Amino acid sequence: MDHSGAPSDGSVVRAVLAGDVEQFAVLVRRYRDRYARYAAHMLGSIDAAEDAVQDAMVRAYTHLGQCREPDNFAGWFFLILRNRCFAERRRTRWESGLEGVDEVPAPEQTESELERSEVVKALQGALLRLTAEQREVFVLKHVEGLSYEEIAARLSTSVAALKMRMHRAYDRLRELLEAP
Amino acid sequence: MKREWNPLVKQVLDGERGIESLPPDLRLEAEDARRLLLDAIERQAVSLSDSVDARVMARVRRRAATPWSRAWHWLSAPTVPRWVVMVPIAAAAVLLMLMRTSTPPATVEQRTALTGQRDSVYVRFELYAPRASRVTVAGTFNRWDPTATPLVRLGSDGMWTVTLALPSGQHQYGFIVDGRNWVTDPAAPAVDDGFGRRNSVVSVNPINGRIL
Repeated sequence: MDHSGAPSDGSVVRAVLAGDVEQFAVLVRRYRDRYARYAAHMLGSIDAAEDAVQDAMVRAYTHLGQCREPDNFAGWFFLILRNRCFAERRRTRWESGLEGVDEVPAPEQTESELERSEVVKALQGALLRLTAEQREVFVLKHVEGLSYEEIAARLSTSVAALKMRMHRAYDRLRELLEAP
Repeated sequence: MKREWNPLVKQVLDGERGIESLPPDLRLEAEDARRLLLDAIERQAVSLSDSVDARVMARVRRRAATPWSRAWHWLSAPTVPRWVVMVPIAAAAVLLMLMRTSTPPATVEQRTALTGQRDSVYVRFELYAPRASRVTVAGTFNRWDPTATPLVRLGSDGMWTVTLALPSGQHQYGFIVDGRNWVTDPAAPAVDDGFGRRNSVVSVNPINGRIL
């Protein structure tokens, strides 16, 4: 139990592994939305994100015995979802950077913000044309607000490698957004 | 021609320096970069539809109901760490095993013994199955392998037996008769495995030496 009285991820994982399948719903409720924004930005639509989160959850259940650190279920689940997003990216051809981005949340479409809405959509379209790795580091840092150190820990890589990836992403985005 | 941001501008985008720290000729470029990239980021939270939970759990329950799911969970589960420490109790072990011959048969019997593993105990599994041609035991201690641990028929009275060295802790198991029928131990407690079956349970305790 944590300080709020809710069971810890570790205790829920152990209960599911011991046969209490219904306990898995606790993890679904706890993490269904936490990484939805990441998936939506990686895949370009909320529908695609919803499918990815569902698939990742079922995959997490199927392989729950391989969760070596049950108290870090969140980090383990994120990696499953990440793999699912990358697989989807490989499977899908992004013919146009603007395709599929309409359902990513946009600000209120008031008249005063229409111009920003266009800029947002342009960036979302450009992000879809980055490599999955470049896009991921951009989303984790600038959308999810993680530091390079946090991203490095989550993805088991180095800060230097992430910075190189990000700086290439900045240049590629400039190229895409300033193209006539 | 490919245009790249100045490295100092990239540091601004990374949040590692402010625009005011840049040389004046780079500040305009930095402001452009922030406007194009950072100011256009949509950080609004994304909420999935309410039906996601139900759909996930429906798929989970379907998977849980498949015959392979139960075995797969146990096959993929982390194994119990074992500490290999020699314990000098060989004499006690032999004595206890000899004592076994003079005690009435029990379905599961434990004896503290030299196993090469600290806190391990010999556990004797027995099943009365006079018509069986083959009996094995599968459990958490052998990764639920239905072929790994055969029992031996004792004479012609229908009793099958095997003695295993198990580490301390709780183990779940079941007998497999003739390679297809899973049977719980009639003399041991059982728990629901969550997949529509019951598993027998044995708690191994080297201090008491004998617990069902």
